[in-house]
Amino acid sequence: MNFNFRTPISAVVTAAALTAFTGAALAGECRVSEASMAKPGGFPDRALTMIVPYGPGGGSGQVAAAMAEAVTELTSVSINRDHKPGGSGTVGMTAYMAAPADGYTVLEHIDDASSAHALDSSKPNPAVDLIPLVISQVTFSQIYIRTNETRYTDWPSFVEWVRAQDGKATIANVSKEGSMERVIMKFITEASDMEIQQISFDKGAPRYGALLGGQVDALFEQPGDVRKFLDADNFKPILTVFNERPGAFSDVPTHKEMGMDFEPLLRFRGFYVHKDAPSDRVDWLKWAFQRGYCEDSYQAFNESKFMTVIDSYRDTDGAIEMINGAIAQYRDVYKQMGLDVK
Amino acid sequence: MLDNFLTGTATLFGDPFTVGIFIFGVIGGMLFGAIPGVSMLTLAAILLPFTADLSPSQGVMLFAVIYCTGTYGGAITAILFNIPGAPENAPTAFDGYPMTQKGMAGKAVGAAVLCSAVGGVASAIVMMSATEPLAQWAIMNIGPPEIFALVFFGLAVASSVGGRTIWKGWLSVLLGLLIATIGQDPVGGINRFNFGFSDLAAGIAFVPAILGFFAVSEIFVQAEKKVSGNYSAPKFSVDFPTFFELWAHKIAVIRSILVGFFCGILPGIGATLAAFMGYGEAVRWSKNKSDFGKGKLEGVISSETANNAATGAAMIPLLALGLPGGALTAMMVAVFQMHDLEPGPLVFYNSPDLIWIVFAGMFYANLSILFIGLLETKTILYLLKIPFQFLAPMILMLASIGAYISRGLVLDVIVMFAAGVIGFLLRRSGYSIPGIVLGLILGKIGEQNFAQGMQMVHYDLGTYFSRPICTILIIAGVLTLVKSLHSAFFAKHVES
Repeated sequence: MNFNFRTPISAVVTAAALTAFTGAALAGECRVSEASMAKPGGFPDRALTMIVPYGPGGGSGQVAAAMAEAVTELTSVSINRDHKPGGSGTVGMTAYMAAPADGYTVLEHIDDASSAHALDSSKPNPAVDLIPLVISQVTFSQIYIRTNETRYTDWPSFVEWVRAQDGKATIANVSKEGSMERVIMKFITEASDMEIQQISFDKGAPRYGALLGGQVDALFEQPGDVRKFLDADNFKPILTVFNERPGAFSDVPTHKEMGMDFEPLLRFRGFYVHKDAPSDRVDWLKWAFQRGYCEDSYQAFNESKFMTVIDSYRDTDGAIEMINGAIAQYRDVYKQMGLDVK
Repeated sequence: MLDNFLTGTATLFGDPFTVGIFIFGVIGGMLFGAIPGVSMLTLAAILLPFTADLSPSQGVMLFAVIYCTGTYGGAITAILFNIPGAPENAPTAFDGYPMTQKGMAGKAVGAAVLCSAVGGVASAIVMMSATEPLAQWAIMNIGPPEIFALVFFGLAVASSVGGRTIWKGWLSVLLGLLIATIGQDPVGGINRFNFGFSDLAAGIAFVPAILGFFAVSEIFVQAEKKVSGNYSAPKFSVDFPTFFELWAHKIAVIRSILVGFFCGILPGIGATLAAFMGYGEAVRWSKNKSDFGKGKLEGVISSETANNAATGAAMIPLLALGLPGGALTAMMVAVFQMHDLEPGPLVFYNSPDLIWIVFAGMFYANLSILFIGLLETKTILYLLKIPFQFLAPMILMLASIGAYISRGLVLDVIVMFAAGVIGFLLRRSGYSIPGIVLGLILGKIGEQNFAQGMQMVHYDLGTYFSRPICTILIIAGVLTLVKSLHSAFFAKHVES
């Protein structure tokens, strides 16, 4: 395995590799031709509010800030971000559904909204109760170990070592009930015939610190969230949970190559508006957010987060298809896991 | 180190615009830190987009300065009106507000100003001296089992604070722990005690609970006194603590610096645990434990020294490893990223100028607390002259805004008033409000780390004792508990 970010220079090389892949996958290409759109009936004539169901420093907080900046650059309409963290996105979603459906309030949310609906259909369906304006980040997961790890150095040796620990090996994760992380880990452990103890950390810093400090043996995460540790040569990926090797991680085997036959669940972050919002306003918001994705500032942000490694863009139809697919897949898995699907 | 520090100082004060940003951060942090609900986090979130137009060193320095002065800012309202500006100032109110009622507000505020500055400066010096080795030590040796043991150790003394008897102190702590279990469990994400209200999935937020238990219950207590004719206005005083009074607490200051620094260096922990642990240790080592919660200067000193000592420490895992210690340091990561930088080991090699401007900014921000804080104190103490019938509605209005604005949920205002009523009734019966708040805040941190620790030791509690730091803290906590129970039984025996 040759994947390495040993110095800042190699990080630059990696960025170049990313750029090369970006072109092939249309990852950063703008697919909205209209550079401007007339405001329907003067909408919006005041600032929009964006409800963000997570804190300002995390992945959602950052993507919300980047998209708000891009849309404001494009339209000169201000966007006030209103962070309502808690309950794995439940608090923000509830607040959003109670807000007036006039188009002035939009929602940022991640795939947790889809998995929450899959587990409990009384919760809002992001593809039905909301209208996706754009999904602007789609990414895959990987398993990381410390770069200076000597007990195992790649996926086969890791699996062999984990099996020998008889269930005592550990992996840091966000393993909330029914979460994407827990579902994928179920697939991986079953397909690899190994037992590994998942340690659930809801915040990134303690999670990454646990691997850095040797408190856990491995880490389940998405590459954008640990980029700084890759650049600093602290972590290295040993498995990519995606159907093909992304160009930036061409030396890292995929789960399918390692004999695991399951469809990978992806982490996605997007922006929504209430289904009852006036249709002409929805059309304008779709244009603003889809075109906002094309703004240089947003593209630079996505690239810094490894979000151009695969195609991160879904328009409304693409987003609905993705959400529906995720909900169906989660439901199947939950039933297999014996969870109480309502 | 000295050369780098002087270079950082020269860069910081060599450019008028950078000086302006520094002053803005000092004053903005103090103001936003003092207003409950509208914390330094609010200011940081507002400023975040604008940092794109600053240089990276100016942007990160601004946030670091806000962190230092914002942590201190909430102490003033905690002492004068029983309204902690943020959870990390809550232990300051335990003794600070009773001091105000005794006419010793000047001494409490003066001690808070001085000790915040001392704690922050000491922390900044250690931060400048040994960031990388300390960060490495912390992540290698401190995991969830150790953090749980630390919380257990801290809670073990909580019964001594504020309750009429030790038993009532313990019941108060247990009530706080029970309230902490409301909402999703911290590991599996399973809803508990939310009674179908999705807003309760996130649990009881600290800010409205603290505002209710402290500020609202205090209004009710004072209102009852007013109605029954027993009310006496707090005596106005601008007498600062004397040098000898402060010197007498030098051990408490040193202990709180160590405790605060240790808590601050742990990723994801930060100043709140530091303040509670600093206060708890002051109680543990005191010969007059029963005086705490009734207006003891050492309580204010310990809490304010510890929370500011955590600020410099929290920068260590952030700068050395890229691991933020709390919400504000997490936002600093975003400031780095807006300039295509990442905090972590490489930043020391790639951007040493930035590091030393930030270090210098934090050092001088903590010094500024001393001078601006004393100036602020001379003026803000006059608020105590406002008659109760005007002050009470102002406090209720401010507290309601503070409760609502932190998450924008009406539920939080309801929680605040419910906590106020419960706090009022419990205080009448001799239960401990500090005990409840200690249980609530330490309970959330402790439960999460206990559950993670149990996963790490494969649900074998005995394995906890294979970790030396964990073992020492748990044994020390158990000994404290046994001593507390012995005192409780002995006290009962004497009474009977």
